[in-house]
Amino acid sequence: MDVRNDMLKRVKNRREGYSLDQAFYTDPEYFRLDLDLIWYRDWLFVGHDCEVARAGSFFTVQVGDYPVVILRDSDGQIRAFHNSCRHRGSRVCTEHRGSSARLVCPYHQWTYDLDGSLLYARQMAEDFDKSQFSLKPVACESVAGYIFICLAEKPAEFAPFAQLMQPYFAPHRLTEAKVAFESTIIEKGNWKLVWENNRECYHCAGNHPELCKTYPEAPTVTGVAGGDEDPDLTEHWTRLEAGGLPSRFRMHESGQFRACRTPLIGDAVSYTISGRPAVQERLSAEVSQERIGALLLFHYPTTWNHVLGDHAVTFRVLPISATETAVTTKWLVNKDAVEGVDYDLDTLTHVWMQTNDQDRRIVEENAFGIKSPAYEPGPYSELHEGGVMQFVDWYCRSVETRLTEGGKSLRSVA
Amino acid sequence: MTVKPDLAAGLALPFASTAPWKGSSARLEVIAVIDETADVKTFVFRPEGGGWFSYKPGQFVTLELPVPGGPVWRTYTLSSTPTRPFSASVTVKAQAGSIGTRWMFDTLVPGMTLTASGPAGHFSHWNHLAERYLFLSAGSGITPMMSMLRAMADTAPASDVAFLTCGRTPGDLLFRDELEMLARQMPNLTLGLMVERKSAADRWHGLTGRIDMARLKFLVRDYRQREIFCCGPEPFMAGVRLMLEDAGFDMRHYHEESFGAPSKAQTQPQTKVQTQSQAQATSAEATSEAKTVTDDATAGRVPSQVQGAAPTAAPPAQDGTAPAGYAGDGMQLQFSRSDVTTTCAPGTTLLEAARAAAVRIPAACEAGMCGTCKVKKTAGDVAMEHNGGITDEEIGDGYVLACCARPLGPVTLEV
Repeated sequence: MDVRNDMLKRVKNRREGYSLDQAFYTDPEYFRLDLDLIWYRDWLFVGHDCEVARAGSFFTVQVGDYPVVILRDSDGQIRAFHNSCRHRGSRVCTEHRGSSARLVCPYHQWTYDLDGSLLYARQMAEDFDKSQFSLKPVACESVAGYIFICLAEKPAEFAPFAQLMQPYFAPHRLTEAKVAFESTIIEKGNWKLVWENNRECYHCAGNHPELCKTYPEAPTVTGVAGGDEDPDLTEHWTRLEAGGLPSRFRMHESGQFRACRTPLIGDAVSYTISGRPAVQERLSAEVSQERIGALLLFHYPTTWNHVLGDHAVTFRVLPISATETAVTTKWLVNKDAVEGVDYDLDTLTHVWMQTNDQDRRIVEENAFGIKSPAYEPGPYSELHEGGVMQFVDWYCRSVETRLTEGGKSLRSVA
Repeated sequence: MTVKPDLAAGLALPFASTAPWKGSSARLEVIAVIDETADVKTFVFRPEGGGWFSYKPGQFVTLELPVPGGPVWRTYTLSSTPTRPFSASVTVKAQAGSIGTRWMFDTLVPGMTLTASGPAGHFSHWNHLAERYLFLSAGSGITPMMSMLRAMADTAPASDVAFLTCGRTPGDLLFRDELEMLARQMPNLTLGLMVERKSAADRWHGLTGRIDMARLKFLVRDYRQREIFCCGPEPFMAGVRLMLEDAGFDMRHYHEESFGAPSKAQTQPQTKVQTQSQAQATSAEATSEAKTVTDDATAGRVPSQVQGAAPTAAPPAQDGTAPAGYAGDGMQLQFSRSDVTTTCAPGTTLLEAARAAAVRIPAACEAGMCGTCKVKKTAGDVAMEHNGGITDEEIGDGYVLACCARPLGPVTLEV
């Protein structure tokens, strides 16, 4: 049976509140469809403004089959291009990150300006029209220090996300921060398993001793119920918003993104074993209130985030195959903070390095078990796993809508 | 584009009511674009909002050219004369691979404005007043000479000037009609036009070949009694220097607009950023695109016995000092990884020198654009005129583009 119809049938017939059929987590053809339907269509978080601080700074990212380069041009604008030379397709930027006055293809030195235009191609025919061979642009937006790209030819509106997250994040000045440390781990599990694990803290007590010293396990904090019933949360929001920091739980109607400021346990102000700040210098001079907790953000399918008073931890999810996912974590601190003076790298990264590794193990065990022919979808905890259900609902709704776009019968187009 | 009414009407605000153009604060407005030859144009400017120009004939300006991808700065000698102060002009040649000048050719039309700085430079007969002058030029090296000659025609038409200029063909000689007209108006102007070869399209009765002592003596018997000004591609000037030195000429009376290898005393390694700080610029720093052009336009016209040979003495820099590291045999270059040491003539690019020494530096555009020839410089100073192929940060880290960097003294490259 055609895989699109197969997926559509399984999405339509799925049991609400239950995990998905095995194919969603293991099947390479389903993975291809995930790329086509989700990853090549939605806005994807790729990195931070401060990673391309100067004109010519760039970093590269691989999304499915698409190599992309993100850079800052000489006007200060952040741009993204398909990282494929218009000559014979070679990757132009081969480094993970770097700085270059121009983008020069290493194969035949075709030279592109930072705006993507082809400046120079050696010894081409007299009538060769360089203007026809600029690097192909990729839609690129930056908001409050976060860079997003979209591979779709007609990207969805970015404004709704920017409008929701900007007031929460702008005060933290991540545009001017610096990445103190970055780690990328490969989790041997489908990207949706990585997300499902992230969207609940049901597993925290048994797996994350370090994180649980500071991060509350309450489902109201991690989930998507809104938290209005939780007096700790509402008190936290009222106090911070009185001081000018947007904090209340807000989620877009699509369910694709939400922002919310959550308290940490007791007097903790940072994700350290002691709960004390990991960085002496505050992340942003604009945010001077004490005990602001963690500003949480998720944006499906690429990022979840925790912004604290002294640092921020940001996460990027990128799919590699049906059963492999890359998770990149970045620790952002005030750009003037000095390692070894204002912060100790081990103290800064310890909790989330441990937590990430624990999560990796959990996801891999989960993936391992799902491969069993005996696996069948199981029920989520309504109390603890509302966030997971919301994620799976978003996924299924997106996939179903896009599989049935234009009202065409899938059978007729298959 | 519609022409502004005051442009069309030829209005200029009265001299007394306006101030002279200040390069740092007022923009220039294009009022005319004149075709000089097939690949040379003159761009005429006035100060935006009115005003007049005050400069010495022979000085240059630096134009900020807003090419796509970010501005570039190009330095051009003014071909106009300050004795006609309501406008100023530059005469430039576009060469293959040019960015800035090509942009001017393709884009600039009357009514457009540019940011510019200047005028600056010391290459002017006003700084070396004499009873008799000899102007020697090749290619677009004629522009400062033209500025000086026009000033003389307006202020001292009896000036004794021998004006020798060289072009590839008759059609490449700039300002030929005007020079012949000035020769009728200035009783003591001796005109010597010389071409490398005749062309079928243009009548030619003048000299052909390259400047040498025989031709110089034929045209200007009393050259020894003259204050000599020379401008053109580096091989041309090197040839002239050698010729004059061999003849025992007193080089204190020789002045050149030296673009290829300015002495260290005059020029710091030139980058795009430093080019902006025009206030400190000297004429020797005016390593301009237009002047680079003359290298191409006239290369190979220098007498063969001179071309490629290193001069036997330091190039006579305008402040009289020899460039550091210049020791008669040329600039010393060390390629540390290859374990090769060589010397090259002043004005040679690092890439040319590396090739001559069989040291391999990957290169592609050879116009300072693609950055393929980026190499680490571990010692020494260079003058570099790139086209955006290297970042300021990389320059700060000691990298140079070998294709467009010329040694100012002994240089060590990590290659």
